[in-house]
Amino acid sequence: MDNEMTLTFLALSENEALARVAVTGFIAQLDPTIDELSEFKTVVSEAVSNAIIHGYEENGKGVVTVHAKRENDIVTVSVMDNGVGIEDVSQAMEPLFTTKSAMERSGMGFTIMDSFSDQLTVISKWQEGTTVTFTKKFHTVRTVVM
Amino acid sequence: MHFQLEMVTKEAVVIRLFGELDHHAVEQIRAKISAAIFQGTVTTIIWNLEGLSFMDSSGVGLVLGRMRELEAVAGRTILLNPSPTMRKVFQFSGLGPWMMDGTEEQAIDRVRGIVNG
Repeated sequence: MDNEMTLTFLALSENEALARVAVTGFIAQLDPTIDELSEFKTVVSEAVSNAIIHGYEENGKGVVTVHAKRENDIVTVSVMDNGVGIEDVSQAMEPLFTTKSAMERSGMGFTIMDSFSDQLTVISKWQEGTTVTFTKKFHTVRTVVM
Repeated sequence: MHFQLEMVTKEAVVIRLFGELDHHAVEQIRAKISAAIFQGTVTTIIWNLEGLSFMDSSGVGLVLGRMRELEAVAGRTILLNPSPTMRKVFQFSGLGPWMMDGTEEQAIDRVRGIVNG
């Protein structure tokens, strides 16, 4: 069965946990393994943290939207913000690149998102916002109880 | 998110992390951990991750930041008992060589072994 969810919240760091919990609940129907679940949660956390920290500088005013869609065993999640945008997407996606080293951001966010999802797309326009979309097929092994 | 910090030798501190370590949590605990480390004679941090149910790249930033603070004293870091997902995150970030599985006692022994050659 297919399903869809949209969650919007303010750019506050406490909402990072909220986004993870919502998406975790959304994919629960697919019976993901513990590792699949924790990897997907990590991807959500990276994308939402980026929107809050970089998109909006944690201003508590900007709105982050998380949209999740499930088609059979494939889940697509988009994390959207109308924040500052990314000047150079390919540079931002390089491992260890960060504009916030003073904040101890590791620069590993996009590498993790890319590694833990099947497909990752980043669309960004300077001063307009960023949309990060990732897709994952869940390889559910279903046990049939006779 | 909460943590326990315990000096296990004169130079080594064990930091036990519990709950979910994300950007929000790191911002809550970083200053406290950093202050505690600077007060003493710490050269080694053993991060016990066993009680941690979740970590994203913010955790990598926290670990790397403390490694930098200990650089002047040639500090050592051990990432004890990361989950399979954390293991991958540390590998991507180049922190793979500092991971180990075992008890805190084994981690302390390993630190002593390294220190004593």
